[in-house]
Amino acid sequence: MLNRRVLLGAGTAATLGFAAAADARTPIEMWIGLTGPAQELLMQFGQEFNAMQDEFEVNVAFRGQYPEQRAAAIAAFRAGNPPHIMQMFDAGTGDMFAARDAIVPITEVYAKAGLEFDPGIFLAPARAYYGAPDGTLFSQPMNVSTAVMFYNRDILSAAGVEAPPATWPELIEAARAITSSGAAPCGFTSTWIAWIMLEQMSAIHDMPIGTLQNGRAGLGAELTFDNELITRTVATLAELQSDGSFSYGGRSNDAAAKFIAGQCGMLMQSSGGHAAIERDLEGEFGVAFLPHWPDLIDEPLNSIIGGASLWVFNAANRTEDEFRGVAEFLAYLASPEVMQRFAEGTGFLPATNASFEAMEGFFAENPGRDVPVLQLLRGEPSENSAGYRFGRWTEIRDFFHEEVERALQGAVTPEAAVRSAIERGNAALRAFERTASN
Amino acid sequence: MRRRVIFEHKLLPYLLLAPQLAITAVFFLYPAAMAMWMSLLREDMFGLSSEFVWFENYEIVLSDPNYVAALQRTAVFSVSVALLALLPALLLAVMVDKMIKGVTAMRTILIIPYAIAPAIAGVLWLFMFNPSVGTVSGVMRSLGIPWNPTLNGTHAMILVILASAWKQISYNFLFFLAGLQAIPKSLLEAAAIDGAGSTRRFWTIVFPLLSPITFFLVTVNIVYAFFDTFGVIHAVTQGGPARATEVLVYKAWYDGIIATDFGRSAAQSVILMVVVIGLTAIQFRYIDRKVTY
Repeated sequence: MLNRRVLLGAGTAATLGFAAAADARTPIEMWIGLTGPAQELLMQFGQEFNAMQDEFEVNVAFRGQYPEQRAAAIAAFRAGNPPHIMQMFDAGTGDMFAARDAIVPITEVYAKAGLEFDPGIFLAPARAYYGAPDGTLFSQPMNVSTAVMFYNRDILSAAGVEAPPATWPELIEAARAITSSGAAPCGFTSTWIAWIMLEQMSAIHDMPIGTLQNGRAGLGAELTFDNELITRTVATLAELQSDGSFSYGGRSNDAAAKFIAGQCGMLMQSSGGHAAIERDLEGEFGVAFLPHWPDLIDEPLNSIIGGASLWVFNAANRTEDEFRGVAEFLAYLASPEVMQRFAEGTGFLPATNASFEAMEGFFAENPGRDVPVLQLLRGEPSENSAGYRFGRWTEIRDFFHEEVERALQGAVTPEAAVRSAIERGNAALRAFERTASN
Repeated sequence: MRRRVIFEHKLLPYLLLAPQLAITAVFFLYPAAMAMWMSLLREDMFGLSSEFVWFENYEIVLSDPNYVAALQRTAVFSVSVALLALLPALLLAVMVDKMIKGVTAMRTILIIPYAIAPAIAGVLWLFMFNPSVGTVSGVMRSLGIPWNPTLNGTHAMILVILASAWKQISYNFLFFLAGLQAIPKSLLEAAAIDGAGSTRRFWTIVFPLLSPITFFLVTVNIVYAFFDTFGVIHAVTQGGPARATEVLVYKAWYDGIIATDFGRSAAQSVILMVVVIGLTAIQFRYIDRKVTY
């Protein structure tokens, strides 16, 4: 009797001890900059991955919005202990590409871990944006968005506008009709001024932002957007601001409030703003493609992506094991079901072709949610609509914002504003190259 | 025979001071030294490539027209915030000092804004003055004023000055009230018997006796306007439109965190530190002489 009990007790203790030792999982740290439902979903994916296996323990942490999170990651890297995975927004891509020793391209991450990886599973615009010309994918697309135009059906019909405008001349007419008929105090507004008015407009009109394939071919690019398209677009905004048909609402997301409050009849906005509009707008709304100038292009090309992607850091204390855990978690995030759940739950777009096809039913039930993807995939992408890669792009975008604000204030002419933005942007690019080539 | 009290323990004072000295060393001296070192370097974001460039960052910063403009803007901003925070506080303190009933209630109400974090205060003002949905904006529009801080630089500057000063009024009020209550009533009574009116009494008796407090508050308010207003500006205007509300501390933050040019940002921080130390030194040297203790 005693013998059996002792044996049982020892066996249990041994098993527990064994289990405890085997339960020492390798921690994997991922930092994200999203808030709201997207943040909750990402954290949930981390927990699901942990439940699926017992080798790694993924911790998804919110470290402030994109700029603060980037600063925290930089500080962590300089201290020798960066997170394994970091979410970096689109404008920071150029900076990350140049930090060749700090990051590991994910194609390499998968290869080192011995996992099969086909970059072709991602949507073409995402592959082009985050990849090198030879097909190596540097970061993994996670939350993808593009810009579209939301319109308030009630306001448009009250103003006598039958169909949502498809071109800029139609947009100007509709905006003026809205304000003159009193249907709303303002015709249209736009969020993310640089992303939409400079980047998206250049892409869909097949116009370059800079040389060297918009910077993707290497350092030394010069900005070249002082062309008819951008000058005319800025001039239009300035003209319409002065007669009230366009109402400037700030550089980032604040202008959406004007549309949701019913003050403006139309809004150019990220597709990620769809859920907020659906929830808070009183009235019927629709989603349309971004307008184009018919005399500058007949068939507009695809728009480019925004959002963020996942980058893998390189550090001296990283082990092979940790990189394998990173690869497995990234593979989980790229799986069709996860991508589909993320897209349906947040309003971001499905980043993989598989998830896009699987969402056919969802798009049928939710009209307007497929417009961004259709706009991303239309036409034959050219060099100018495959994205861009410039260092210090956040700062250069702000130069553009400032010059547009000056033009809207009437302090400078649109031509002078655009030229000044280019000069300042080029100076920033040259300064960036000095540190990037050291 | 005079008795002298000698404190026996030689080591104890240093031990008691040590925690504060440690905090000062870690949170001020070390970052300041790091900033001075980094301002002499030209690095990429991650510190992988580092070039020692002597004072090139300072040259770039001081010859940048945006920096000179920010310098002027900061001067205007700081003086406005300090004045707007001190004068109403003095007025309120004088009024409350005269009250007999309800002094505690009034004092509590006036102190509450100080408990609000700067960013929250900024957001409060942002909501009230937002051109589209703000309550005060609606009133202004009906009065015919085209209020638009999103596009009009002057409006934006007015908004951040008001939001920054509002918070500080409570702090100044508290000190002024304490100062006023420390003035012996007998002095004022004697002056009144001699025929001095209340204005005369204020300027010849009350104000000079308040001068230590005023001097202290001016120093604190200037430092506040230079550094602690970052939260308000970031929440309300983010330095815009077109840099109209970009003050030195905001520009230093932007160049470091957003533009990730740490060398330039560190140079700006060092210059800002020198400017504020200089201002404080000037105040202590010249104005302190005029303070009657």
